[in-house]
Amino acid sequence: MTPTTVPADSAAWDALIEPDRVHGSLYTDPAIFDAEMERIWYRTWVYVGHESEVPQPNDYVVKSIGPQPIIMSRDKQGEIHLLLNRCTHRANLVCDAAKGNSSAFRCPYHGWTFSNTGKLLGYPFNSGYGGTEEKRNLGLGRVARVASYQGFVFGSFAEEGPTLEEHLGGATDAFDRLVELSPTGKLDISAGWLQHEAKANWKMLVENETDGYHPQFVHASIFSVAKSGIGDLYGEKSTAVSRDLGGGHTENDLRPEFRRIDEPMGWFGTTADRLPEYVEHLQAARGPERAREIMIDGAPHVMVYPNLFIAEIQLFVIQPLAVDRTVQHVTAIQYEGEPQLNRRMLQQTIGSVGPAGLLLADDTEMYERNQRGVHARTPEWLVLKRGTHRERRDGDGFTIGDATDEVPQRAIWRHYRELMEAGDGDGAVAPPAVPTANGSVR
Amino acid sequence: MSERRERSLPLGEAAAGDTPVELVSEFAAVSLVVDRDGNGPRLRIEDLKTGQVGFLDPLELETLAWLPEGALHRFLDPSFHRWREERERG
Amino acid sequence: MSATAATATAAAELLREVEQFLYREARLADEHEYDAWEALWADEAIYWVPANGDDIDPTRQMSVIFDNRSRISTRIKQLHTGKRHAQTPPSALRRLITNVELLDPDPEHPDDVAVGSNFLVYESRERGVTLWAGRYEHRLTRTPEGELRIAYKKVRIVGNDRPLHTLAFLI
Ligand code: FES
Ligand SMILES: [Fe+2]
Repeated sequence: MTPTTVPADSAAWDALIEPDRVHGSLYTDPAIFDAEMERIWYRTWVYVGHESEVPQPNDYVVKSIGPQPIIMSRDKQGEIHLLLNRCTHRANLVCDAAKGNSSAFRCPYHGWTFSNTGKLLGYPFNSGYGGTEEKRNLGLGRVARVASYQGFVFGSFAEEGPTLEEHLGGATDAFDRLVELSPTGKLDISAGWLQHEAKANWKMLVENETDGYHPQFVHASIFSVAKSGIGDLYGEKSTAVSRDLGGGHTENDLRPEFRRIDEPMGWFGTTADRLPEYVEHLQAARGPERAREIMIDGAPHVMVYPNLFIAEIQLFVIQPLAVDRTVQHVTAIQYEGEPQLNRRMLQQTIGSVGPAGLLLADDTEMYERNQRGVHARTPEWLVLKRGTHRERRDGDGFTIGDATDEVPQRAIWRHYRELMEAGDGDGAVAPPAVPTANGSVR
Repeated sequence: MSERRERSLPLGEAAAGDTPVELVSEFAAVSLVVDRDGNGPRLRIEDLKTGQVGFLDPLELETLAWLPEGALHRFLDPSFHRWREERERG
Repeated sequence: MSATAATATAAAELLREVEQFLYREARLADEHEYDAWEALWADEAIYWVPANGDDIDPTRQMSVIFDNRSRISTRIKQLHTGKRHAQTPPSALRRLITNVELLDPDPEHPDDVAVGSNFLVYESRERGVTLWAGRYEHRLTRTPEGELRIAYKKVRIVGNDRPLHTLAFLI
């Protein structure tokens, strides 16, 4: 693919992104990748970690925002901080272990020591340095804004901009639905993460997460041998819908199918009588009627732009490292205090995802084949037309399409273009347009 | 406070001795135990007279080992934080 | 022959038998002889590839693979469909197995043979060449006819706490 430069104006973007097709160089051009880091990853809200990963005061975990190394710490007062893992002396990595418990971090290079809130506490042989004023300016770098929603911690490198809730917009419902499935309303993200590396551009992963067109092909092998009903959810006859939630967030909403089938816990491939403890707890917490609805509707399948994929019983976090290199982190969602259900969710997750997963190994093969394919010179475009003629609005004003339509992919690219066109300036990105019930966009 | 949350840990870590030790003098009585509820081990210190609990992580403990003579005096001052008159607070 | 010498000979014979078994398993995996490979497993078995360290609790923590016998069978059936894209075409593979060592038996299975070995797998596919190094820990049991079968296989991949490429062949 011919290398491009980053378009300077709207007309130049027209040459790369159209409403229903995109230019292949967007997946292969290192200059585009660098611009994406600045305009998307180092500006908008990006998912970093979950509060339950730092359960105790002074806990920390090493995380990332794209290629940036981030320390997520909880201070003694319980507040969560996102710090850059880079010593303010001569830039050594401060934390090496994946996680730990410490009120302070000591850099291994020359011993500078920082509190877990980022403050510089001191340096060895301090007579070599000036006074406290100097110390004040040498705290660890911070992600400018930190906020969480339902325990999910996000960071934004932009000092100003939409609030996290504005950014999540139509996707907040996915988090609400997810925690409602937990009888205590809390998740326990403590099962550890698999890291699956793909020689592919990060956008291939984002677009695939809510692609309802591929499962019948990519996953036919496992659907046929495991007699899974998942394939039918994404069939031509499925009543499930694909949805544009605004702000680049997208969804495969399987609820219409689950409601039609009307089997509590059917979404999890089982029945309520096989999970008596969970069912009892959920009924006690939500009341029998609501519990039944929750157990019919199941967990969301939502891609929160740009890097968090809530996949029913799993969380995926997308980490771009280079234009053709991406790590997909994945863990099993666990509900607080539900060992019976958790064990099943963990075992099902281990079977499905990661480098040897019966599902994800094949998705990843597709990302990598796609990355090789997109280097071919012609045709230069990728086509995202599917279902354009049958796009419609749902009761909440969101654009939806059939289960297999490319509504999500078009939505992702529309948002991408907005972010990229906004340029590198300090200008804050406007919050995503939120559709209103009458279908207009405000 | 003494109730332990069930969390999975690397087996090697969980195996280490977690039996509380009590240290008593005529002035104070404390119970020490390694707490593993967090992302790394901490020393849990309980004041047996009041039930007050504090934690020290390995870096803090190493720091204590190196405390120069007299450095703790500031904290031993009864009015440093524990027995303060109302107007002194804040 | 003295009693000690007899024991030593028996141990050497057992080691030889076990080595041959491991080499056969390796060849069948390298050559994608799926059914013959599956036939080496006992009726109850665990096939485990941990992640984020070698001593995690697989009932609470994510692993790369944690298959019971029925999932091993699903894995093999999936490969047989010819539509397991991550193995279509199958990876070209050769693995070396060395440092084969009989270990102390698992106290819960005193009659089974515990064996450790090191491996290096050279994998070539369109993605490129990937080297996989690590250690196998097998627990081998005997059929009533006296043949060895795998009751437990743990694969400790070097670097299992870092990003890994797709691993869809039989490791
Ligand atoms: S680089 Fe960290 S102390 Fe020098
Ligand atoms: Fe998929």
